[in-house]
Amino acid sequence: MKWPDAISIKQIALAFITGLLVLVSLIGGFAAYQTRAVTRSLEQHNQDAARSELSASVQHLLKQTDEQAAKLANWDETRQQLVLPEYYSYWRDQRVYESGILPSRFVRAALYTPSGSLLAPSPGKIPLPAKLPADVSRHQASSWLVDEAGVIALYQAFPVYIDERRQPLLGYGLIRLDFMPALLQQESLHFTDVASVRLTLKPGESLPASELFSRLKFSARPDPDQLRFQTILSRTLLALFVLLMATALIGFVVYNRLLVRPLRRLSQDIDAMQHGRFIPHSSRSQAMRISELENVRRSLHEYQLQLRELHGSLEHQNREFHSQARQDALTGCHNRRAYEEDWESFRNELKSSPQGAAFLLFDCDRFKTINDTYGHAKGDRVLTIIADALVMALRANDRLYRLGGDEFATFLSRTTPAQAKQIAQRCQSLLDASAFSDLGINEPVGISIGIAFCAADQLEHVDDLPKQADIAMYTAKQPGRARIALYGEDTERASQTLVASRETSALFQALATPGMVEMHYQSIHALPGRKIDYYEALARIRYHGDLILPHAFLPVVNSRRLEAEFDLAVLNQVDVDLSSGQLPPGIGLSINLSAQSISHPEVVSQLLELSRHNARHPLILEITETSLITQMVEVRTYLDLLRTVNYRIAMDDFGTGYSPLRYLVDLPVDVVKFDISLVNKLGQDNRAGQVVADFARMMSDAGYSLVAEGVETEAVLRKVESLGIAHVQGYLLSRPVPLAELAAGFANQDAGTTCAN
Amino acid sequence: MRLYLLCLLMSVFSAAAHAAIVQQEMRPGIPASAEYLIGQRSKPAVLLLHGFLQTRDFSTVTALARGLQDAGYTVLSPTLSLNIPYRMQSLACEAVHRHGMDDDVAEIGRWVDWLKSHGHRSIVLIGHSFGSLQLLAYLSSHPDPAVKAYVGASLIEAQIGEMSRPDLIGQLENRIQNKQRVLVTQTLSFCRKYTSTPEDLLSYVRWDQPRVLSALRQTPVRVLLIMGDADSTLGRGWLKVLQHIRIPMVVVHRGSHFLDGEHEFDLLDHTLRFLEAVPQGASR
Repeated sequence: MKWPDAISIKQIALAFITGLLVLVSLIGGFAAYQTRAVTRSLEQHNQDAARSELSASVQHLLKQTDEQAAKLANWDETRQQLVLPEYYSYWRDQRVYESGILPSRFVRAALYTPSGSLLAPSPGKIPLPAKLPADVSRHQASSWLVDEAGVIALYQAFPVYIDERRQPLLGYGLIRLDFMPALLQQESLHFTDVASVRLTLKPGESLPASELFSRLKFSARPDPDQLRFQTILSRTLLALFVLLMATALIGFVVYNRLLVRPLRRLSQDIDAMQHGRFIPHSSRSQAMRISELENVRRSLHEYQLQLRELHGSLEHQNREFHSQARQDALTGCHNRRAYEEDWESFRNELKSSPQGAAFLLFDCDRFKTINDTYGHAKGDRVLTIIADALVMALRANDRLYRLGGDEFATFLSRTTPAQAKQIAQRCQSLLDASAFSDLGINEPVGISIGIAFCAADQLEHVDDLPKQADIAMYTAKQPGRARIALYGEDTERASQTLVASRETSALFQALATPGMVEMHYQSIHALPGRKIDYYEALARIRYHGDLILPHAFLPVVNSRRLEAEFDLAVLNQVDVDLSSGQLPPGIGLSINLSAQSISHPEVVSQLLELSRHNARHPLILEITETSLITQMVEVRTYLDLLRTVNYRIAMDDFGTGYSPLRYLVDLPVDVVKFDISLVNKLGQDNRAGQVVADFARMMSDAGYSLVAEGVETEAVLRKVESLGIAHVQGYLLSRPVPLAELAAGFANQDAGTTCAN
Repeated sequence: MRLYLLCLLMSVFSAAAHAAIVQQEMRPGIPASAEYLIGQRSKPAVLLLHGFLQTRDFSTVTALARGLQDAGYTVLSPTLSLNIPYRMQSLACEAVHRHGMDDDVAEIGRWVDWLKSHGHRSIVLIGHSFGSLQLLAYLSSHPDPAVKAYVGASLIEAQIGEMSRPDLIGQLENRIQNKQRVLVTQTLSFCRKYTSTPEDLLSYVRWDQPRVLSALRQTPVRVLLIMGDADSTLGRGWLKVLQHIRIPMVVVHRGSHFLDGEHEFDLLDHTLRFLEAVPQGASR
């Protein structure tokens, strides 16, 4: 048996009272048992007394009958009737009663001849036997009982002689009486319950009087004193029990009121305190009647007050902390934690109350550049102004979250795509009206907004809203876009976008799985002569047998800020390719790197490791000009370092990005690769084409080695040649091929050379 | 002194030894008993008869019997059967009385015969109350010659109360004539509800005072009447009537009907005095 860990004081009280009641019940039971024993003894005594007196009564009745029989037997008139029975009926019906020999008419007498025949039939309702039983003695009286239609009759037959010498026999006499009335009418029955006396005889049965008592059923009359005693005792016990019950009940109530309830109150207070509830209660201030408990209550109350104050202070601090924890310290809007909590609540709310919802993702354009250019303090002010503008533009109940850096988000409920777009446009309008020039920032500061919308009947896709907004935002950031893009409406090639998730998966798998990034090599030709000078390593992802091209996964890389990880994968694969020895010595390679990766120590470390191939394969690092270089000084330092290990630095996609001249000025660039859009301008005989041509010429004069990429027509090629651009690249001359194919080409080339030799 | 005590004891034992209960059948199935106190052979035997419905154990009778025996007389005191076998108790007035005067006279005759059969040739009949009447009735009907004298103590006629005797007799005779056997209840002697058959009742009712006086005058033996002057049962003037006919009679002063108490001695003395004059009967 396992005892409970703790029992309450109420249970103790109940147990005590129960024990007390049980004890009293036991004592009462013992008293009742003793009383019952005494009662039984008295009952037995009564029964014995009843037996004795009933036996005496029976004997008395029998004796009385015997005496009556004897009187009749010795009565002269009896003998007279046996001799002269002419007036027998007078004797039978009158004389026996008038003479006083028979006490009442309930006792009948009859006379029989010596042969046992009745002298004369008995009139009336009680016929006497016409013949005496054969076993009636000639010499002595005999008595028996029979049941006559429910009436127990006692018969006593006696011989009648002519004289005292008992000779000769004159005849017989018979006395009949109703036994039960005769027995019970005796006044000697004090202990016998008269109503209980029964004598049951079988029909036709003749019971000798000697066996009468053994057949007599009876019970003792309840003793009034005994009953009174029992009643008094029972009442006393009952009163005692009721008194005790009442006392126990009152005691329990008093105990409960004085001890249990205060203790429970104290316990509840302590529990409440334990659970941090310090709600003041009027009853708590009530004094307790038990001084010790009152001391405890007072101490606890004071302690509770102190705790409440402390708790209030803590709560205030917690609210502060919570608020601060959910608030972005810089901009004052909600932070990422708040975003995550609110987004979860928003999703749940949408599920319970379907409605149109939109997710808006804001990203400041070129914020890194602004930060780097004007310093962090002004960058922070820019963010603050952006946040203020966005908050003003949003609806009253909409919340703005800063997800990190310059990225903000909000989600709109009960909205439509048009309303979402309208809000986004309002955001941009307010931001455009902001006075960034007051900060000394002359460049335009804008934001790109990606919108994802989910209709009320498509809430199962609500979880995709952030990703879709991200994609839309990427679309909005694309050069030439209106900086507001609605997913599904503005994102091009929706089907591809749908595949984006597949390419995202491929990308992440490729980053985690060496070998999935596959390098294709496109030749770069020297001009004039168009001889292959080196190859540009272009990354592809081989995913389930399909080849995923850069335009499909690079947006993901950029949006996910995976530039460094992806470039490391590319460098690893290039290292593998170069280490494979499939490229003949002297064949140079240019490798594309994002500007962000340059400042990444691991990338730099990998590049230093890869530089070992420079002796056999001169390596060029192409920095994409469209990527915003935010940490210009740091990047320049690394580039300088890489140049010391014989890397050449190329500015890729020149003419499409931001601040190209500044890059050329600040960075140690050796090669400038004109973007295809600029190259195409060369094919035009207009001012733009002239500008580009003059710029290219100027670049060449300044010592930059120029590469025209994206050359796809002969006209463009000739123009490039005419401008003195050193290298050219494009589908006109070659397409990117896998290493194996390139190696095969080299092998064939070597074989051709050998044959020619 | 010692001699006196010896004589006393001898006399007591002697008396006890000379007493016996004798019985004889009066009629078929009706035995009767009598106490037989044996006295001196030289003295007449006394047949002492009890009163109406009484037995020989009636106090007046027993006292007189003992006195007579003590005086040396043989005393036979029967109990009339009244047609009850071996009657031992006085018969209640309300009992069925199946006896008449003739039966009583017959029984007296049988007891006289019994005395004679036991050698008594001089017999004195002594009766008390109604027994005196029954003995007188015997004497009036061919008495035995052995009967020498008659003593009637408190002699009384058959009293019938207020009713007219002739009417009663007529009714009874009518019943008898009509053979009506229904019991009749009538005042007789001291019984107010004497129950009897018409014949038997009539046998007693006929013994009115005149018949008694006539019987007294005609009795063939010596007669002595012993009467008490305080006998309330006697009819008015009965003593004067008796005195008028000059029947030898002793009136006991203040003697009641039962002549008990101190009058027992008067009764005994007068009886003994009378007996002394009775002639001796022959011995056995």
